[in-house]
Amino acid sequence: MPNVGAELASVPFGKMIYDMASAIARSQVALDKASIQLVKVLANTTFDYVPDVVETLLPNPRQVKGAGGAPIMDSGGNPVMVTGVLVQTDVGDSFPLTLLQAGVNPTFYAFTNSTIEVKMSITSTQESSNTFSAGVSVTASADFLFCSGSVSSHVNFSSANKFSYSVTGSSSMSTTLAPVPPPKNMMPRFFLVNAIDPTKVTVSQS
Amino acid sequence: MAMQMYMVAFNGDYSQDISRDIQHHLRKCNGFTLMVMKTGIIAAFDDGMVPVIQSHPGVKLVGGVTLSPQGYAADRLQRIFAENLAKQLEVKAAE
Repeated sequence: MPNVGAELASVPFGKMIYDMASAIARSQVALDKASIQLVKVLANTTFDYVPDVVETLLPNPRQVKGAGGAPIMDSGGNPVMVTGVLVQTDVGDSFPLTLLQAGVNPTFYAFTNSTIEVKMSITSTQESSNTFSAGVSVTASADFLFCSGSVSSHVNFSSANKFSYSVTGSSSMSTTLAPVPPPKNMMPRFFLVNAIDPTKVTVSQS
Repeated sequence: MAMQMYMVAFNGDYSQDISRDIQHHLRKCNGFTLMVMKTGIIAAFDDGMVPVIQSHPGVKLVGGVTLSPQGYAADRLQRIFAENLAKQLEVKAAE
């Protein structure tokens, strides 16, 4: 008879789990290294940042002109004026800002869920067939001083046994890779010192 | 398959020709250039295309990035990305 327990015990679960965990650990290290390298790239990429643009609307009165450029006067002989507007633009001094400061963060990934699935099918069939036949033949003859007889018999027995046993198995491994917030230890801290009031220092971290 | 934002860092010093070549490469991979800098390109493309983009000789590294709203210029970057993306999107007429 098939021993299902023995078949299941023969599945190298321990090795499968170890191999998968080892592969995940190696992949995680490689992913973290790539993300750290990206932090360096983002921290070294600067662009000129214009912090503010001040637009001031100033009055710009002007006289309304008619045909031929002649000024239009009202009934009292005063020139007709419109308020007009003048936009004065004051662009603040630009300063270099890194992409990290600007708000571009590297994506970190983590393996969140891993599954090992083993499917096993054990099939066992047994067929047995027996045939039995028996026969007896009796012949007898008699004469005046003589008689004879014979008895014959036969027995046929045949037996057939078929036995088949098969085990099929399949395994699948799956893992989920999800983006996670940057680990605190891998991201730089930003110290914002207010030069107007040096006691005000803000520390932030992505 | 999902469209994500990536930083495509250049291999070596900045060259306008290489930068342009990588942008064409991105376009062939159905990607979009969001912003170009001297060290690389911030682009959006399908995550299945990462190995193809990475295979370009001018590319040093491809890494996923996100925009943190706490950044000093996050809102402005977002606007720049949106404007550049809008210029590359093809609007098809309704049939």
